[in-house]
Amino acid sequence: MRLKECLSQVARIAWRECCILRKNPIYWFCMVVFPLLVMFFFTSMMQEGQPTDMPVGVVDHDHSSLSRQLVRRLDAFQTSHVVAVYPTVRDARKAVQAGEIYAFLYIPEGTSDKLLAQRRPTVSFYYNMAYYAAGTLLYRDLTTITTLGSASVGMATLQAKGVPPAQIQSFLQPIVIDLHQISNPWTNYNIYLSTVLVPGVIMLFIFLITAYSLGTELKFKRSRQWLSMADGNIVVALAGKMLPQTLIFLAIVYGYMYYVFGVLGFPHPGGIMRIAMLGLATVLSSQGFGIFAFGLMPSLRMSMSVCSLWAVLSFSMAGSAFPVMGMDSALESLSWLFPLRHYFMVYQITVFNGYEMLDAWFHIAALVAFALLPIMVLRKIRNAMLTYVYIP
Amino acid sequence: MREDGIINKIRGGVVDACRIWAEEMRQTVRDEGVLIFFILVPLLYPLLYSWIYNNEVVRDVPVAVVDNSRTAMSREFVRHCDASPDVRVLCYASDMDEARALLSRQVVKGIYYLPSDFSTRLNRMEQTAVSVYCDMSLMLTYKAVYQTAMSVALDMNSQLQVKVAGNTTDREDLVTTSPMAVTPVPMFNPSGGYGSFILPAVLMLILQQTLVLGIGLSAGTARERNRYQDLIPFSRSYQGMFRIVMGKAMCYFMIYAVLGSYLSMIVPRLFHFVVLAEPSVLLAIMLPYIFASIFFGMVVSCMVRYRENVMLLVVFASVPLLFLSGVSWPQSNMPWYWECFSWLFPSTFGIRAYVRVNTLGASLYDVAFEYRALWVQAAAYFLLACLVYRHQIIQSRRHALDRLDYIRRRREVKRRLRERAARK
Repeated sequence: MRLKECLSQVARIAWRECCILRKNPIYWFCMVVFPLLVMFFFTSMMQEGQPTDMPVGVVDHDHSSLSRQLVRRLDAFQTSHVVAVYPTVRDARKAVQAGEIYAFLYIPEGTSDKLLAQRRPTVSFYYNMAYYAAGTLLYRDLTTITTLGSASVGMATLQAKGVPPAQIQSFLQPIVIDLHQISNPWTNYNIYLSTVLVPGVIMLFIFLITAYSLGTELKFKRSRQWLSMADGNIVVALAGKMLPQTLIFLAIVYGYMYYVFGVLGFPHPGGIMRIAMLGLATVLSSQGFGIFAFGLMPSLRMSMSVCSLWAVLSFSMAGSAFPVMGMDSALESLSWLFPLRHYFMVYQITVFNGYEMLDAWFHIAALVAFALLPIMVLRKIRNAMLTYVYIP
Repeated sequence: MREDGIINKIRGGVVDACRIWAEEMRQTVRDEGVLIFFILVPLLYPLLYSWIYNNEVVRDVPVAVVDNSRTAMSREFVRHCDASPDVRVLCYASDMDEARALLSRQVVKGIYYLPSDFSTRLNRMEQTAVSVYCDMSLMLTYKAVYQTAMSVALDMNSQLQVKVAGNTTDREDLVTTSPMAVTPVPMFNPSGGYGSFILPAVLMLILQQTLVLGIGLSAGTARERNRYQDLIPFSRSYQGMFRIVMGKAMCYFMIYAVLGSYLSMIVPRLFHFVVLAEPSVLLAIMLPYIFASIFFGMVVSCMVRYRENVMLLVVFASVPLLFLSGVSWPQSNMPWYWECFSWLFPSTFGIRAYVRVNTLGASLYDVAFEYRALWVQAAAYFLLACLVYRHQIIQSRRHALDRLDYIRRRREVKRRLRERAARK
């Protein structure tokens, strides 16, 4: 009997919440439009997977068939595209500063002469590391070119000596590296970045909307009416209020997951069940954090400020771009306080790499703990709803 | 002197603008929500971010080794990897299953697998392969694990070549192993640090976002304090769009002249990031950037009904805006529609110009396009801000007139009632 009563109260509060959500357009934007927009933004921005044909320049003082061959080879790489030939290094440097090219190859005068005379010429490759992705990718091309360049000379010499091809290969490169890029063999940046940034933005919205919807009860002086619908039982009141939001956010998260894993085909050897559980944990833990933040500071403005500052920091503290193990040890422990960090770890261990769930137990437990955080502040929220007055 | 002389009008406008400036300043100082975003966040966030990225590079990435060869040569390979700055050999695993378990427990970030015939094949002068397995969830550790193996292999290859080649002099050995020397020169960020790359962009983004948040919050407060939820109060000073926009802008500019110089000059020096900027060029780009951001913020603030809504609109945009600036994902590879979209925001040009001036040491000529674009944005958003404020003025005037009308009519009705009562 008691349970039935509670459930009907929850249903009534949920219906009330649905009406509130429908009336204020900001909810529509923050719960549906913006998350979808951000999802489309990141996945379409990086649809190439890896930046290809980035503009690079050449300073060729040698003007020989060899230097032209080097340039052609550089151009033939997937990553680089030779867009201009500059008369001097200074001009090329200016072009880098003006943002026209990301790197340039400098072939000094007499390179081919020295090469033929075995006097070991030096060519230089200047790449702009102020743009990290562009710089590292072009540097990778460079190492390949140098290996190939040196190898072609050695190959010609050995061929002239009459060494059989198999032996030439094993002489030039006795040890080869056989690279296995687990789960992302294309080095696809879309797979790598979108799977953290988009959930990060969705979590940001869950934080903010949770705090906002609780705070506006105070602001528009509806809090007592809300509590009275639950007979003053804060658990029932919160459950009813959060239920519609949970369902909407779950739909958004699952929609995102269907899009990236189903439509775009991002690797997910972990399987659908884990993806579904991860989605649920993401929504609940973020809502838990939002309620907790509001409970700590039951004022609309302060709780939202804290939520937004926390959520923005979590993009760095998730450690998906710059790894947490590279940060100071204090930050390593602090990263536990960010739900996005745990989302990232659970995602990459169980879904992306498909390892055992047990290997991510700590992070799963942390997400559950975030979802349970509101228990600590239930009384405080109840008091706030009954006594606090909104001050703009 | 005539009352409506042009000089008088201008003088009145300036006085009104100054009055609005003072009023806005007073409100800003009083409002702690605005203060958080105007003072606290711009002061502390850069320090926090600098702390996060202070180590710049990832060293000693742990890897596991499966050495099935167990020969002097295989141990040499492993030793070289361990001695390199980026990789640390955490342990020898007995087989691939054990190594994979270590990988899945996040103990190591990669596996080096040396096959049992590693040195047998080398001694037979056949090619041999070292398998490298990388955890791809982190690009930086993948880079460290892979590049270390590559460079160690290159190094050992040249040693092996020297052994076989049978040269007589060191010079000959050098020519055999690398007939052509190539010098890689990382420009403008020689250590390849992550912080030096991301921080300048983040600093500029913080400037714009906190400005927009602060302006939006104070506009929201002004609206909520107003009886009709109007953005501007009905008073004598607030009767011209130019004076309102200029007066408010002066207040924000006053605050952000200080914070802007803190963000653009002090923070990079505090944490020893690359600074090649010439002061005059820096000033030349920061000025239009701050103005463009202020007017952009004023336009956004007119869309905000309640003060807290601005956070919902602005905060999430930070991450996409950082991407639109073209620092992480190269600008040359951005789809055209996003490139066009990015032109709407001052941060796009602000970040591009600042990174080039500060990190790349560009001259004003090199950032001419961004510089002009920022001024165009400042002018366009100024006009737009004037227009939306004009709309607001008309609205507040109409509300005031309605109210006046209402009071008059009420008075009239009361008078009539009184008259009727007196007649009776």
